[in-house]
Amino acid sequence: MRPAERPTMRLAHRKTRTRSAALLLVGVVLLLPPIAGVALNDLKIFGAPFALVYIFAVWALLIAGTALLSGPLWNGQDAEAASNPADPPD
Amino acid sequence: MLSVNLLLAVCLGYVALLFGVAFIVDRETRRRPLRWLHSPVIYTLSISVYCTSWTFYGAVGSAARNGLEFVTIYLGPTLVFVGWWWLLRKLVRIGRAHRITSIADLISSRYGKSPSLAVLVTLIAVVATTPYIALQLQSVTWSYQIIAGESDSTATAFWIAAGMALFAILFGTRTLDANERHHGVVAAIAFEAIVKLVALIAVGVFCVWGVANGVGDVFANAPAGLTEAAASEVFGGRWIVLTFLSATAIICLPRQFQVAVVENIEERHLKTASWLFPLYLFGMTLFIMPIAIVGLQTMPADANPDLFLLTLPLSEDRQDLAMLAFLGGFSSATSMVIVAAIAVSTMVSNHVVTPIALSILRAERAVSGDIRNLLLVSRRISIAVILGLGFLYFQLNGSSGALAAIGLIAFVGVAQFLPSLLGGVFWRDATRAGALTGMLIGAGLWAYTLFLPSFGGDFVLSAAVLQNGPWGLGILRPQALFGLDGMDPLVHAVVWSVGLNALTFVVVSSLTQPTVLERLQATLFVDVFRTTGGEPTGAVVGAAEADDLLILAQRILGEGPANRLFAEMARVQGHSGGLPHPTDSVIARLERELAGSIGAASAHALVTRIAGRQALGMTDLIDIADETQQLIETTRQLALKSAELERTAQQFRQVNERLRSLDAQKDDFLSQVSHELRTPMTSIRSFTEILLDGAEMPEATRDRFVGIIHDESQRLTRLLDVLLDINRLEAGAVDFPLDAIDLSDAVEGAAEAISSLTLAGNVAVNMDLPAGGAVIHANADRLRQVLINILSNAVKYNAADPPRIDIRGAVDGGFVTLDILDNGGGISRLEATTVFEKFARGARADRDQGAGLGLPISRAILRAMGGDLTVEFAPTGDSFFRLRLKQSNAPADARRAFAGAISD
Repeated sequence: MRPAERPTMRLAHRKTRTRSAALLLVGVVLLLPPIAGVALNDLKIFGAPFALVYIFAVWALLIAGTALLSGPLWNGQDAEAASNPADPPD
Repeated sequence: MLSVNLLLAVCLGYVALLFGVAFIVDRETRRRPLRWLHSPVIYTLSISVYCTSWTFYGAVGSAARNGLEFVTIYLGPTLVFVGWWWLLRKLVRIGRAHRITSIADLISSRYGKSPSLAVLVTLIAVVATTPYIALQLQSVTWSYQIIAGESDSTATAFWIAAGMALFAILFGTRTLDANERHHGVVAAIAFEAIVKLVALIAVGVFCVWGVANGVGDVFANAPAGLTEAAASEVFGGRWIVLTFLSATAIICLPRQFQVAVVENIEERHLKTASWLFPLYLFGMTLFIMPIAIVGLQTMPADANPDLFLLTLPLSEDRQDLAMLAFLGGFSSATSMVIVAAIAVSTMVSNHVVTPIALSILRAERAVSGDIRNLLLVSRRISIAVILGLGFLYFQLNGSSGALAAIGLIAFVGVAQFLPSLLGGVFWRDATRAGALTGMLIGAGLWAYTLFLPSFGGDFVLSAAVLQNGPWGLGILRPQALFGLDGMDPLVHAVVWSVGLNALTFVVVSSLTQPTVLERLQATLFVDVFRTTGGEPTGAVVGAAEADDLLILAQRILGEGPANRLFAEMARVQGHSGGLPHPTDSVIARLERELAGSIGAASAHALVTRIAGRQALGMTDLIDIADETQQLIETTRQLALKSAELERTAQQFRQVNERLRSLDAQKDDFLSQVSHELRTPMTSIRSFTEILLDGAEMPEATRDRFVGIIHDESQRLTRLLDVLLDINRLEAGAVDFPLDAIDLSDAVEGAAEAISSLTLAGNVAVNMDLPAGGAVIHANADRLRQVLINILSNAVKYNAADPPRIDIRGAVDGGFVTLDILDNGGGISRLEATTVFEKFARGARADRDQGAGLGLPISRAILRAMGGDLTVEFAPTGDSFFRLRLKQSNAPADARRAFAGAISD
């Protein structure tokens, strides 16, 4: 990549990393008590109990989010490497 | 019931199919890398070995008994994969950079390549894998019994265990791969993953829309308390603990570490696996709850919910689905056992057997071939032992208890690796001591609070101990340690074992110092993203690399040998007339060949750099530096030796010079001697001839001539005597006796001997000798000879008026110095350099004064007595002679000073 692009790419990569961390945090918070307790009610979604749907929905969300972020995370790796002064030049 | 024979045939056929897949893939990979094998989908599917018969049977049972809880087993891994960027990626990078072969290897390598840590991790892995294997045996035995009818559990389980051991040995230990990669096994379990998924989904679809009437119908009549608000306890401590345990297990289980880290071919695969694996888990678990509910609704009350997946199709007379379900369960069990057995046996053979064997074999100089055989044999035996232990656990545990509970025991066991693992890759100051103590405490507590109690009082811990604590100490009850009562046993065990493990790890690490190697490894592991480059984008193996490798080989081995080597490797692969594909074996071979020329470290660094597998790592650089250091040392030694040789040559040259000059001196001496001898001889001859002529001459003349002849012959004799004398003196062959002589006596005696000369020349002789006298160690006669010689010189060559001679004596250390000065001018500095040479005469000498041997002989005499004779210069510029004589301890022998004849 051209040197001029590096700072922008580094910034973009940092953002992606932050999003990935946020996704993980969301997953942990939503799937573990106490927040998971919100799923305990008697609603039914398409006949299925709310808790079950909730768990699987959050799960699907996590999968989708990871899929969307994995590409940018991986491609932004060069920017991360370039920002490490200890690395040899390209 | 399905016929037993059909069942067995299907099973064996399936196993044969799997083996065929593995075999073909292994063979093809050796020839050339398979594109599809490098697909991230294969990698992801291989990770699905996480879903064993626990998922197939136990999850349904868990859902039926405990509701939503079963989902936690899959949520944990999902979260780990969502966060792949931080943990998984680092583990994979470390695994590739440091060629890690197992989790024991990783932990031991991180903490300074510690063999004790490796052994501990291996032991824990073996013990923790045992219940898991028992679980698989249990599920297969049960499912077999369901389909084939009742049978002896023990025998069935035994044959199943034996069969699995055989499969594992055949699959995993046919060859040894330096990277511990088993491409065939990976392909086989990827295939199994699809079979599992298809089977589960098929039965799920059947249950929801076949048995029940759709989703709504399933849940409409769901048993109360299963999914409703009343089950509020589900989101409690146990939920958290289970999620935590499963998240730990996806990394710490030996088989999971093997497939996710060791078998990883490309780091890029993580990009896909990060979402595809959770999606797989999603698909596997989607129908679990519906199946459980339908099972509870339709099966009799005493039916084992663990087996609903089988019993439901059977009850609806769907033999095909039942067979599919059985195959799925069987498949999931065998894949788990094979991979786990391979992973654990690798650890046992690498970290337990090999070090012992090497220390035994070291004395016998085993060839590398022996080690390979040993490794393979030890692996096979380990596999058999591991399965044997699993069978034993199955026997001891009885076929009681839910499958899931057994699996969780294994989870907590491997969770003991977590603090050391996480600390190892994120915390630079974690030390080996911390890891060791933490793991020991954790493993001990795990055994005490969970593993041993699982036998229900039949093994080690008796029922009484379980009830009341050891020796009746209630506070040490295995399941309510230190009064922590009322907790779920699993939560209790996790809190104590993992909690104290982590705490001890942190505290001991903070209190101990890491060794130098630990520090180095810590930096390399924690900073792995800084010290290694990323993967080259694109294909790992490419034809361009083979070109580079060939050029490298040509430069180092020479064109001919390099071309021959590559041609041979290409031929082995089946590409005649081309370049070989840079597979692992080609690269290893090339490294070996190059190592012969440039050393192993340099060869490895250069080849891996070109092959793009990893950048030059710090340990590589250190290895290269070491080798360079050795080369420098060797060069230095060579330089020293050549300097020595140079010095020796120089010495030889000097000696040669001396010999040459001595030779020249000898020639000079001989010519001078012959000249000196000839002169008197000439006189003798001429006068003799005159006398022989018989011519008339007066008596007086005749007498005079005879007198001259006599004098000259005497002169000649004296000369010869002196020459002989000086020769012997210089050769050190003269051995005259030395006595204690009084200095004053000697000097006065000599002065008196030349008194005729001094009186005739009116020379004043002054003596200034040490007061109190001095005693010297000398030979009286010879000393007299020397003194007379020098004194008479001082008289003869003294042209001053009035002539005067001063004799000054002094004591200096162990020596006596005698300075003889005259006021007659002395000699010049130039003459001083040659005055002691034989036949050298001063400027004022003439023929009568002797042959010029007086000073050389004097010096030789003095030197033979341990002293010396030198010419010195006074501040005024006048020269004088200095005699040096050794001082004697004995009193003077006065008589000796005056004895002896005078020699001229």
